[in-house]
Amino acid sequence: MEVPRRLPPSSFTLTLPKPAASAPASFVPEKDPEEEENLREEDEAGEETFISTEEAEPGASVVERSNSNLSSRDSFSEESGGPMSEERLAPEADEETGRKCEEEERAAAKERAAQRQLMAIEELVQSERNYLRLLQLSTVTIRGNLLKLQPPLLNLNRMFLHVDEVMDASSRLLSLLDQKRVRPGDPLFLQTLCESFLSLSSDIEAAYKEYLANYNHITVVENSYKQREGLWNEIVRVIKASAPEVNATSLTFFLVMPVQRIARYPLLLQTIQKHTDPAHPAYALLEHTAHTSIALNCGINEYKRFREVADKYKKTETLTIKDKINRLNSHSIAKKTARLSQQIKHETGITPKLVDEEFDALQDFFYVLEHGILELLENVETYLHHLQGFLACRTEEFDLDMDGEKAPICYKEITTALRQWILPTFEKRMRTLIHRPLCALRDLLVGPRNLIRKRLDKLLDYELIEAKSNLSYEEHAVANTYRTINTLLLNELPQFNGVALQMIWSMLGTFSCLHRDLASDMEQLFQSFAQQLPHSSLSPGAFWEWAESMALEGARRLETLCRSVEDTLNAPVVQPLSPSSQRRLKQLMDKHGSGKIWQAAAAVVSSRDLDLNLAKGELVAVISEMDTRGDRRRWLVDAGGRRGYAPSSKLIRYHQPAEDPPPSPHLTLPDGVTGIRRHSYSPGSRPLTSQPCFQVMAAYDFAARGSHEVSLRAGERVRVLEPHDKRGNPEWSLVEARGGQRGYVPSNYLTLMPLGVGVGPPGSYLPH
Amino acid sequence: SNWLPFLVWFQFSNSHMFINDVFTSCGQWLEDQTKKLHKDMKKSTEADLAMSKAAVKISADLLSNPLCEQDQAFLDSMNALDTAMKRMDSFNQEKVNQIQKTVIDPLKKYSGVFPSLNMAVKRREQALQDYKRLQSKVEKYEEKEKTGPVMVKLHQAREELRPVRDDFEAKNKQLLDEMPKFYHSRIDYFQPSFEALIRAQVVYFTEMYKIFNDLTDQIDQAGLTDEQRERETEAKLSELRALSIVADD
Repeated sequence: MEVPRRLPPSSFTLTLPKPAASAPASFVPEKDPEEEENLREEDEAGEETFISTEEAEPGASVVERSNSNLSSRDSFSEESGGPMSEERLAPEADEETGRKCEEEERAAAKERAAQRQLMAIEELVQSERNYLRLLQLSTVTIRGNLLKLQPPLLNLNRMFLHVDEVMDASSRLLSLLDQKRVRPGDPLFLQTLCESFLSLSSDIEAAYKEYLANYNHITVVENSYKQREGLWNEIVRVIKASAPEVNATSLTFFLVMPVQRIARYPLLLQTIQKHTDPAHPAYALLEHTAHTSIALNCGINEYKRFREVADKYKKTETLTIKDKINRLNSHSIAKKTARLSQQIKHETGITPKLVDEEFDALQDFFYVLEHGILELLENVETYLHHLQGFLACRTEEFDLDMDGEKAPICYKEITTALRQWILPTFEKRMRTLIHRPLCALRDLLVGPRNLIRKRLDKLLDYELIEAKSNLSYEEHAVANTYRTINTLLLNELPQFNGVALQMIWSMLGTFSCLHRDLASDMEQLFQSFAQQLPHSSLSPGAFWEWAESMALEGARRLETLCRSVEDTLNAPVVQPLSPSSQRRLKQLMDKHGSGKIWQAAAAVVSSRDLDLNLAKGELVAVISEMDTRGDRRRWLVDAGGRRGYAPSSKLIRYHQPAEDPPPSPHLTLPDGVTGIRRHSYSPGSRPLTSQPCFQVMAAYDFAARGSHEVSLRAGERVRVLEPHDKRGNPEWSLVEARGGQRGYVPSNYLTLMPLGVGVGPPGSYLPH
Repeated sequence: SNWLPFLVWFQFSNSHMFINDVFTSCGQWLEDQTKKLHKDMKKSTEADLAMSKAAVKISADLLSNPLCEQDQAFLDSMNALDTAMKRMDSFNQEKVNQIQKTVIDPLKKYSGVFPSLNMAVKRREQALQDYKRLQSKVEKYEEKEKTGPVMVKLHQAREELRPVRDDFEAKNKQLLDEMPKFYHSRIDYFQPSFEALIRAQVVYFTEMYKIFNDLTDQIDQAGLTDEQRERETEAKLSELRALSIVADD
């Protein structure tokens, strides 16, 4: 490839084409009259100004790029060849072009975001249409055909009980969008979409609530069909015949879609929001809609739980636990703590003279209870702290531009659901049902604790005066105080201890229930993904084997890439050989052949016997790639008569300029591409341009509007003849399409794909 | 419609300047995203492990408290809870181990490639600059009147240029070859990781459901809604507050 001698129009824009655009948008900033004058002056001087950077920094090359944009407005001759001028930076233009480049960048970024927003909006609408279509297919066509089966299927209509309301909600949403007669590209569309969704949100919630609460009935019925193999095969046959283009092998394939659809809305809406400028008029509305979609899911799940509880209560009335908890009343506690008090007395070392066994038992129980409550509260708070930490790492927010692939999308949906409503609901319930009551309980400990201490103080006083027969008025008061407190505690501590323990027990039951509900919510979510992932049918052992082997394979490929890149990096520039080197080369080649010539990349100093000293760049022939002990890091080489060992790490294969280098195992050259031609210099020869290793294709359909343009189909390969129009404008390119027709097309309708890599549409993600 | 992922257009012409931009910004973006995902995954996994351990501590501490021995039924409940928590923790550990091998380590390895690639892009750019410099030198001599000394200098300049140009072309070709392939390879590279993430969680939550469904049947009062639970709790707290010993005078 030749370094350009003329300034070509190079306009790098990371942009997505606007499908409806009739002409590509102009990304070139307005020219500053001052700069224009500078350039004109330079042109008049007869020299091309080639504004370049001093160093290869991206920032600097932005300047370069923009300046080249400006210059491209001028017409210049299209001949290639001619002297390449000196490069210099236009002095005054520097700062302004820097600013303009930033503006250009921002405009391009905005353009990108707009395109992705559009794609996200269209995804939502399209998938909704598809979803409705498939549901209709199942309820009308498939059900109709199944009803014809003889003997008639039991409970078939039970499976379709609530799907009508769901379909109704969906079709009303779509008809609201269609009624307004706005297209997704229209700026009003987003507002219409949000308003429609919000207006239907209570209907959507009502419809999906019932559907999801009853979904397990659907799986129960289907499982009953699966029990009978002949019947099930018949059903599958009908399904496949009714919907041949859909790869469905069960009824739940269709009937699980509402379960997934309602959980998809948050992610779909958030994706739109991600690419929407906060300054957009409908942004606040969109945000509200996204929040509503999450609230919908929370409400639906809560209702499902409510219904489950009601059903369960009807089924099994296990009151035994309730009875057991209630038995922890005052009397049983007091009696059981006698043992306990004995142990604790030793530890606490409190041995009041007046030993009141019953009181001691109660008191010790209280202290143990207090400790238990405080410890439990601390542990619960630690748990909640880590839960919040988990919620904060939003692993679903990555963007590897893999939104067309099933597995990443499924992962995003699952994680969005987990982090945005399933776990938050779990946390909220934990706080309401466990943490808050526990805090309240802890606060109530203060009273009894203080009173117990007070009683002890009074007891000590009491002991002093107890034996006396004649007590003074004050002493009577002291005695009474002690007795009052003592009696009070004796009466009420048992109840306190018992009720507190009951509360703890209930809380733990709740803790278990919350976990079960969490797991149940997740399981429901997973149901909809089970059939979509390619390897979900593998057994656990087989799956992990596959996954781990893929990880190893990936690592290996990365390593290969790194090594190949580093090899090329480290290859020294081949300098013309000195006469003595040329003689050495000839000598070695004559003796060993050209394939064995290596070069010292750095000076080699011998460190042991039989090692050689080599100068940097010295040529050697490799005799053996290991030493006598099999060490592959020491190679036996011939340095023009001297023989000895040299470290392999310092040797690089020597490529002669006159030959093709040996084919690299890392670079896979596509057909028709010649290797690098490092040819010898001969006067007047021009270096060959390397063949491209990528292909250009049309990203979108384009309809030609005149004879100077050519129509394109999306996915069609084209050959770019000139990446600019006759006036040098880079926004149009001259291409040759399939069929040989030539004409101009918008440059931003074209895309680059590596040769030899599949360029089909992204893996067909289950649409609905 | 035919969504093509991440469309990049760069001019297919002889100028090399913008190719640097493509490599740099495209590569930078991919590097940033993979690094962020790696960091988030690591933190998420750490939090996950900590949560599970905290849950185990809840039940273990209670079980070791003498409170438990006061009532056999209560002790049975505590034992059941403790067993459940420990089992969940071991499933969680297994899940995390699987994720470490199939997701976090691959993410890290992927990020580790960028220094080499970035260096390659830099070196290519340096080579380009050298090439341009020497090329302009050659052109300078080509324009001059063809005297003897000029011809010698021209020859020398051409000799100097040749290996540098070859070096640039090699580096350039390699990058143009490898970069699009590397960029595209992310799909195949990460696909298994995402499947593994999903599968690991499916297994974990399936176990969680089984374990806690059984446990809840055993230790929780059946048929309570959240409102009912709150009411019961409030009733008990009121009972306690009504005691004289609780009032702090």
